[in-house]
Amino acid sequence: MRASMSIWAVIAAALALLPFWPGAIDSYAFSFLFFVFIYAILSQAWNLIAGFGGQISLGNHAFFGLGAYATAILWSGNYLWGSLYESHPRIYYFDPVTMAIAGLVAALAAALVGWPLLSKLRGDYFALGTLGFGEIVKVLFVNGGDFTGGAFGIVAPSSTFDTLLPHYWTGLGLTVAVIIAIGLLMRSRYGLALIAVRDDEMAASANGIDTLKVKIAAFAGSAFISGVAGSLYTYYIFHVGPDSVFDLDWMLLPLMMTVVGGTGTLMGPVVGAFVMYAVFDLARIVVPDYHPVVSGLAIILAMLFLPKGLARIGFGLPGLVRRG
Amino acid sequence: MFDFPPPQIFLQLSLNGALGGAMYGVAAVGLSLIFGTMRLIFLAQGAMIILAAYFVRALFQSFGIDPFLSLVIVVPVGLAAGWLIYQGLFRKAAVEEDRNISLLIAVGLMFLAENLMTVIWGGNTAGVVTSYTASGIHILGIRTSFTRTMGFLIALAGTGLVMLFLRKTLVGKAVRAASEDITAASLMGISPHRVNAIAFAVGIALAGAAGVAVATTFPFNPFAGFIFSLKALVALALGGIGSVAGALAGGIILGLIEAYVQFFVGGSWTNAVAYGVFLAVLMFKPEGLFGRPYKKA
Repeated sequence: MRASMSIWAVIAAALALLPFWPGAIDSYAFSFLFFVFIYAILSQAWNLIAGFGGQISLGNHAFFGLGAYATAILWSGNYLWGSLYESHPRIYYFDPVTMAIAGLVAALAAALVGWPLLSKLRGDYFALGTLGFGEIVKVLFVNGGDFTGGAFGIVAPSSTFDTLLPHYWTGLGLTVAVIIAIGLLMRSRYGLALIAVRDDEMAASANGIDTLKVKIAAFAGSAFISGVAGSLYTYYIFHVGPDSVFDLDWMLLPLMMTVVGGTGTLMGPVVGAFVMYAVFDLARIVVPDYHPVVSGLAIILAMLFLPKGLARIGFGLPGLVRRG
Repeated sequence: MFDFPPPQIFLQLSLNGALGGAMYGVAAVGLSLIFGTMRLIFLAQGAMIILAAYFVRALFQSFGIDPFLSLVIVVPVGLAAGWLIYQGLFRKAAVEEDRNISLLIAVGLMFLAENLMTVIWGGNTAGVVTSYTASGIHILGIRTSFTRTMGFLIALAGTGLVMLFLRKTLVGKAVRAASEDITAASLMGISPHRVNAIAFAVGIALAGAAGVAVATTFPFNPFAGFIFSLKALVALALGGIGSVAGALAGGIILGLIEAYVQFFVGGSWTNAVAYGVFLAVLMFKPEGLFGRPYKKA
């Protein structure tokens, strides 16, 4: 297994070297790949709770938005670095501490709502509950007054932006890190416990697994990853508003990408993110007036003809086979 | 600070809330049928309602057909469309164990419908204005608009017909049996595909009826449907998943809650309260406010 993953390592290395190709940084492909990384991270997050954990979360966009808001609030309010901010005006820009806090805020929210939701609700009811949770978070931020900037949101100092290079490398690095972390996790006893809970919760609990704890941990982990993705997006978009970062698309598109790539597989979400974002972006270029129509059609066609995901085709690539 | 309003205003609020909530209710009845047989959260129901509203508007503007009269066209078209949607889009996915696939097809259908409407009719807010749109009825000092009252009556009639269909006809009994236990139902010779297709046909026909009510009452735009789907889900949970009358009642209760919150707390909080109630009901009374304890799920 480990040796066969080397093809993905080669692809990652090639992507890491891409900026050194003359003209690559200014090319369209560069920003395209940045968005593929964001969606790949979000898809991995959704796959962790839904694909490996079997708990369909329809509220992951809330964690993305929480991460984005946490970054924008810490930055524009200078809550973290105090007087250091004056001497180092770029200190919040791609600051690992800020990004980690963004993830932790989302994870904390997930643990707090996950506890009652996951202990009380099963299956469809959990999905409905998380959908309601996502909408509540959005309304809270619209009504948050000066702290959240209300319906307009918060604008971060965009003067820090000069190149897409840090976005690209951070996105790539985070994608690789998330894949490795989830790969290692799924090989550990915690990953086995998660799959056991997905496949038969009763049997898992009879074998001494604290199923609630496992599910909450997976939910919080999924939220952490989504929150970090939201933080990364803030450094790109700079204006964080309730309608943009709490948009349902931040949950629906990763969900679709994961299903297209193959739920419960390690590399499926990444492949799905790349393929589906390519389809959407191509539609945006070729038929600009109709591209959302094409997106809708693409989802339906993908589900009709590839219900098991690209995993069924597999392309002979490792990491696309569902475990468990 | 908190003055209780005069009973007149309270009555007016309650009436407006109940009439508006009936719209959520009729959308919830459709969701309830589809969820019951297929276990699918049909997120595109709201988009179907708005699509029907545009259809009603087109019939009115191009052919001069009265919106309420167009029910005789919209409902049969809805039945046929629902049947076709199931056979064309969901039939294959219905047998898959992974229900994300059905959910995603519903999402794709929603995207498709929303954006087709934008391409055809533009993204601006539209409405249907007839000679009676502004007319109202006064009873005991409270005022109600004619179109809202008609919308309420359509919701009541639609729900009533669905209940009769489920209780009195053999096909309706098959749908109920399949909702309770699909395995046992198929062992009794009930074809799951047929039952699913019927649920879809009736659900979309109800969306058509709701579309008539929406077209005559509210201004609408292609993207207004999604919030409708969410509200219908809340109504569904309030009334108890699987109960048709409960879904309508849940919609009316949700309408009342929204009207009161809007008046006493403020318009920007209505959604938070609505979803808060939703979460509370899901967690503490998953069988709904007046449902029997629910055994499945």
